[in-house]
Amino acid sequence: MSGARRALRDNGIGLVFGGLFLLALAGQAVAGQAQYNDQQVAAGAEPVSLLQFVTTSTFAVDVVENWQSEYLQFFLYIFFTVWLVQRGSPESKPVDEAGTETDEEQEVGEHAEADSPAWARHRGWRGVLFSRSLGIVMGAVFALSWFAQSVAGWAAYNAEQLGNRQDPVTWVAYLGEPDFWNRTLQNWQSEMLAVGCMAVFGIYLRQRGSPESKPVGAAHGDTGETG
Amino acid sequence: MNVARAFALGAAVAMLAGCAATHRPDVERVATAFATGDPGARCALLAPATRAAVERAGPCTAAIGTAPPDGGRVSETSVWGDNAQVRLSGDTLFLTRIGGGWKVAAAGCTPNGDLPYSCRVEGP
Repeated sequence: MSGARRALRDNGIGLVFGGLFLLALAGQAVAGQAQYNDQQVAAGAEPVSLLQFVTTSTFAVDVVENWQSEYLQFFLYIFFTVWLVQRGSPESKPVDEAGTETDEEQEVGEHAEADSPAWARHRGWRGVLFSRSLGIVMGAVFALSWFAQSVAGWAAYNAEQLGNRQDPVTWVAYLGEPDFWNRTLQNWQSEMLAVGCMAVFGIYLRQRGSPESKPVGAAHGDTGETG
Repeated sequence: MNVARAFALGAAVAMLAGCAATHRPDVERVATAFATGDPGARCALLAPATRAAVERAGPCTAAIGTAPPDGGRVSETSVWGDNAQVRLSGDTLFLTRIGGGWKVAAAGCTPNGDLPYSCRVEGP
């Protein structure tokens, strides 16, 4: 197999989902522009081009409100599953292994292997930081994207307020507006539903060959097995 | 993290304010011209949909009336996206960006509690 084909095969998940993300984002821009222009015409305002639309706060808030909920989902899922278990689910650790586990099980410090990441050998702040880096990054991206949603949403809300002949509001006032919390919570409910369904459906349902599923012949009571 | 978040908020507000600031002079120029112009000039500064709504009742110059005296001092301007609000000494206007410039979408506007402003001149 050539080097290029091997690279494509070895990075299939990232490449395919990256491509699907770009296609979906482009589709959202087109559909969003059409909806925005319908509202512009109804309000007696001027329609905008696609390039103008993707630079509006309306498009920005519609994008980042979804990003913040996805990263919240990842953060909570990564963090909670250290301690929470679901008997029979491939998404859960075995019931008696809840918690941060031993250093030997986690291959840290003196238990690190030859090919372990360098910071896994450290006992100091490097080891502590690296051993929590996934949750930290997911949590930070969630916080930043939720903040970005608040700013973009505030700008889009105020543009709509003025279009409706109403006064604009401050950023602090916007954080108390139904618009901000409706955007936030409509995304959170779907993310939590998805995680719950994945955890529970996987107890009883199978997808042969998927690392997200138990082996087809695995018992419903087997916890943490995948493949 | 609190310091970082405060910095990010400040940067975001500064960016939004900067974007609004680039349009503020044009918005205020149009608002002042509308507030101090003769009926013909005022009609020319109306957004197309607003002018069409005004002309349903007759010629625009007759319907729009004359500007109040000393009504052109700007006291407050808000610009968000393609919409703006200008409070003048004699009026409150709502403007919209059309064709790269600004036009008056509604004029003679007075507050109406939580409801939209009640405007004497406005479009659909």
